Amino acid sequence: MINRGYCINYLLALMVILTLNFMLPRLMPGDPLQAIYGDEAMIAMTPELKEELISRYSLDLTQAGQFRAYIGSLLRGDLGYSYYYNVPVAAVLLGSFPWTALLVGLALCISTGLGLFLGIESGYRRGRTVDRLLLGGFMWISGLPDFFVGMLLLLIFGVTLGLVPLAGAVTPYTGQGWAPALIDGLRHLALPLASLVLARLTATYLLARNTMITTMGEPFIMTARSKGCSGPAVRYRHAGRNSLLPVVTAAGLQLSHLITGALFVEIVFSYPGMGALMYNALLTRDYPLLQGILLLSAVTVLTVNLLVDLLYKRIDPRVAYAH
Amino acid sequence: MLDIRGLTVRYSGLPVLKDINLTLEKGESLSIIGESGAGKTTLGLSVMGLVEGCCEGEILFQGKNLLSLKEEEIRRLRGREMAMVFQGVEGALHPLYTALDQVAEAIAVHSRKDAGSIRKKALGLLLSAGLDETTACFYPHQLSGGLKQRALIAMALANSPEILILDEPTASLDAGTKAEILALLNKLAGDRITIMITHDIHSAAYFSDRVAVLYGGRLIEQGPTGEVFKSPLHPYTRGLIRSCPDLSTTKDLQGIPGRMMPGVTGCSFHPRCTQRIHLCSLDIPEPVVTGGRLVACHRGGIVPLLEIKKLSKIFGKVKAVREVDLTLYQGETLALVGESGSGKTTLARTVMGLLKEDGGEFCLEGANISKRDAFFYQRVQMIFQNPMESISHRMNVLQAVREPLDINRPGDEEANNHLVRKALDEVELPGDQYFLNKYPHHLSGGEAQRVAIARALVLEPRVLIADEPTSALDASIQAKIIKLMLSLQEKRGLAILLITHDIALARKVSDRMAVMLKGSIVEEGPAGKLLGSPRHQYTRLLVNQSESPAKSMIL
Repeated sequence: MINRGYCINYLLALMVILTLNFMLPRLMPGDPLQAIYGDEAMIAMTPELKEELISRYSLDLTQAGQFRAYIGSLLRGDLGYSYYYNVPVAAVLLGSFPWTALLVGLALCISTGLGLFLGIESGYRRGRTVDRLLLGGFMWISGLPDFFVGMLLLLIFGVTLGLVPLAGAVTPYTGQGWAPALIDGLRHLALPLASLVLARLTATYLLARNTMITTMGEPFIMTARSKGCSGPAVRYRHAGRNSLLPVVTAAGLQLSHLITGALFVEIVFSYPGMGALMYNALLTRDYPLLQGILLLSAVTVLTVNLLVDLLYKRIDPRVAYAH
Repeated sequence: MLDIRGLTVRYSGLPVLKDINLTLEKGESLSIIGESGAGKTTLGLSVMGLVEGCCEGEILFQGKNLLSLKEEEIRRLRGREMAMVFQGVEGALHPLYTALDQVAEAIAVHSRKDAGSIRKKALGLLLSAGLDETTACFYPHQLSGGLKQRALIAMALANSPEILILDEPTASLDAGTKAEILALLNKLAGDRITIMITHDIHSAAYFSDRVAVLYGGRLIEQGPTGEVFKSPLHPYTRGLIRSCPDLSTTKDLQGIPGRMMPGVTGCSFHPRCTQRIHLCSLDIPEPVVTGGRLVACHRGGIVPLLEIKKLSKIFGKVKAVREVDLTLYQGETLALVGESGSGKTTLARTVMGLLKEDGGEFCLEGANISKRDAFFYQRVQMIFQNPMESISHRMNVLQAVREPLDINRPGDEEANNHLVRKALDEVELPGDQYFLNKYPHHLSGGEAQRVAIARALVLEPRVLIADEPTSALDASIQAKIIKLMLSLQEKRGLAILLITHDIALARKVSDRMAVMLKGSIVEEGPAGKLLGSPRHQYTRLLVNQSESPAKSMIL
């Protein structure tokens, strides 16, 4: 299934990301410590702290030695020390990453699934009322930026209707059982998730609809119909199966957009994910934390792409054959 | 018992099929031939209930009218009672499922059996269609064109349907694979009703009992395969057959002039038909059944232009022509071959009325001809062996070519001059004043023969009798003159009676050939067949002599 060339590609990409992450602060002008911790931090730094940091970052070693030390600490799970939060970066990331993973992961799955479903139904009924309403509606929604959709949703469902909480991921200090906690979590998740899904849905919907329209004209659809396949079988097993391919590819590519989108949406909803974390890190110039966030995002995108590749091989036999 | 009655199909208001009537008995195989755009595939799709347009009429099958069934009802019949193999192997199979999966699905749609036994049955079908256990589990992109076609056939036969429709099943395959697929289809067809849609008349001839020719959405000819291909009735059918060479074809390929056009009034073929009359553009011809064959043509099919019945000519004690029967059809070349002195030229001259016949009669377009009048000469013209002698040396080109007009249609000189220039243009000669004023001795042999042809054509005759038209000419000029005559035949449907002793030339030019010996026709038939397997010993002798001049000299 996976061959060597394939693995080497991904390893190379990972190495490039690690190297860049290692080099960027060292390429900045002046003291690496200054580059990492910023001007304000340097003023407050005592000589003892500086000594400790130099040995901690192996700055007394050669470049090669530093790189070895960097990789070594990464392997131990040491991503550096956030001076703003005053805890290791890894610990900060561990607190935020699950929320973003939940939000982005769910948004990706829902927008792909829903977009595919609506695209298939709409493309199958091309030119009819349902198709025209869906197409028009989605074109309108796609004109709005995701954070704006988030604000609208917040105003309507949070402020005016009061159906969902306005901020956060959980209601703190309730000490409730798992079932109410789950419902509470979902209530908090609903709006940020909805705004991300809405913003991403259009692209998937349009792609699925267009592929569906092209596929419906393919000879094998005629073959399927002449076998006596029912409407849903033609739509999903034959035409839809084919529309799945570009949609899966696009889902992998969309991930990076989704992460950017999550950044804004998390801020609007004060959702305690990586987006909100990155926003804070930027404001406080917490460079080690930013570096950690960058690395984690890059590795996540890489991993998801690998998964999409593997999935694609499973759903399109022609790709496996071509390798 | 598939009965199609008055089927008309329209795509957004435009009729694609018009008033189709077809009846197919159990076990019968029918080929529908015609060029692309004739509506062949639409006919297949309307039987399957898959046509996008709006249908009128009735398709009766098992006592039900398929056109009035609800979608769900006809879906249950599709693939079970009737199946279709679609055109174009590429893309007809789903790229993401294996051949086995796709055949199994065809069974599963109409069956409640468990998946295991369905897969077993599907495998059996694929094996009998010529795949093996490995290739059966391949995806379409791993299969060759021939194997894909086999898989599609296995899929169509999955539920042993009563009606099998094959849309161009061999179009994209090479000759070897094509033959294998056709043999497979023949084997598997059994006692089903099979409809093969094709533009390949050889496949049609091999596969089917009956042939229906579709043109412009109408059935224009129908009949038993052998008869239709041997002696087509409709000019379009003949055009189709002429356009498809096989290894015994000897005549140069001739197409059908023009192209198929929608929205034609009257007979849909009339703009391209070389024997059209005024009625053809007004009324749609009713299909007429004669002796098991059906043809829709106002003229009753290809017209026999010149019929010679029991013609005799006697010079003193010598019987130069003995009771000769010959028929020349519209748009064909009949070569009359034989050695000198066999009576060929006498026959031609008697037909033209230059000699008085001593028995027998002539018919021109079905009417008995008793005297050679203007009516006759406007329709039948002749060119002679030596152009220099056949054009009067006292006349210049203009006068020579205009003379037939002056005799038959005296009057408007300007109009006649215009017709002269048109005729000269048709034979690829200049129509300027300089050329018109030339005399025969100013012309080369090729030019003079062209002038003679222009003179024969200026009256727009239907029949041209050419007596050794190129034997006085160079080989290169001969080729040009012959090509010119054939292109005029293609363009206007000229019937040519070519008299020659050159068998090789006759073979390239003629549709049919008649061999004359001592005043009688000893053998007659399609040129390729007659020369390929001559029956009369004199014909064999002629063929042998013609094979190589050196060889015949040694013998």
